[in-house]
Amino acid sequence: MSESTPRITAPYLEQFSHQTVRILGKVRQLRGEQATIDAGGQISVFLNRDSHLQLNHAVEIIGKVQNDLSVRVMASTDFGPEGGIDFNAVDAVVDVTHRYPEMFYHKEQ
Amino acid sequence: MDYNNQYSTTSYGQSGGMNGGGFMPGSQGDSPSGKKSYGKDTLRPVTIKQLLDAYHPNPDAEHFMIDDAEATQVTFVGQVRNISQQTTNVTYKLDDGTGIIEVKVWVDTDAMNDEGESKTKVAEQGYARVYGRLKAFGNKRHVGANVIRPIQDHNEIQYHLLEATVVHLHFTRGAPESLQQGKGGMNGAANGMGAQQDGGYGDRSMPSHMSPAARKVFACIKTTPQTNEGLHMQDIATRINLDVNDVLKAGDELQGLGMIYTTVDDHTWAILEV
Repeated sequence: MSESTPRITAPYLEQFSHQTVRILGKVRQLRGEQATIDAGGQISVFLNRDSHLQLNHAVEIIGKVQNDLSVRVMASTDFGPEGGIDFNAVDAVVDVTHRYPEMFYHKEQ
Repeated sequence: MDYNNQYSTTSYGQSGGMNGGGFMPGSQGDSPSGKKSYGKDTLRPVTIKQLLDAYHPNPDAEHFMIDDAEATQVTFVGQVRNISQQTTNVTYKLDDGTGIIEVKVWVDTDAMNDEGESKTKVAEQGYARVYGRLKAFGNKRHVGANVIRPIQDHNEIQYHLLEATVVHLHFTRGAPESLQQGKGGMNGAANGMGAQQDGGYGDRSMPSHMSPAARKVFACIKTTPQTNEGLHMQDIATRINLDVNDVLKAGDELQGLGMIYTTVDDHTWAILEV
């Protein structure tokens, strides 16, 4: 199912290279077209024109994992100041996503 | 369009559709299979992938099954990809990261003035929570929603996905209580449950809504040595130290679930092996 965008964190990048994923992380650096977000590790992302990231905000990114494990952003949603998000719950969601993929995405064998 | 027709078969007419209660299971004579007994209505948190994977138990059934459990009302949280205003409904396209599904909210002309304001608050690219029923129309699935509301706190997304996972595990692996059984040092009922799990009942887990008394009675019949006539309820009552009336009630419940059957008389029961 190409319509699913599995929720991942940095350690899963390699497993999902060339796939479209969903990452909820904290914005750490903004450098023009490029940014770094923290989601279980640093992930460098390439922004599109519509993405408006804010430092120290939580952001949800839908994007494609590239060869070098950077992520090309297709859409981003601001989730407000990072303190407002319980990242333990976010990590738990990523954990169950891959523990019980039958609920979350079509796993290719 | 038999949409309206379909819609009226939901519990929408009963106090705004959020209320599944009112009927006792089995109190409706119309369908022995219990196909439309709203008394059994549940509100289950799901992912969109589960809705897309839901299946009909038989070709002409109207209801869907998720994890071998009947799904009636469902709720989920997703990101609104598209909103399209139709004459009779508003169609939202929701994406929760596991799949995409259309959600239709019927335009209620009477309620328009009151609710018009709150409805407009669901915005494209924002997250929203939906309560409704899964419908199939031709090959396409959608959710006929009673309520769609924007979420205020983004933690609700994580909360919902974790809640849906708990419910999924509940149906596929049994309730947490039955998983903890057999961890040693437990008393009668617990041992009985353990035995039930390796017993002839296979790995089919007990229905989660069974009463504790029914569980005890079932475990007792399961583990007590007996002839093929089964056990009399008096005997069961003394063995598990329960009032005869409670045993009788539990027996009725177990028969209703098809887990035991009567043998020589109405009050002698044996396990129904499947």
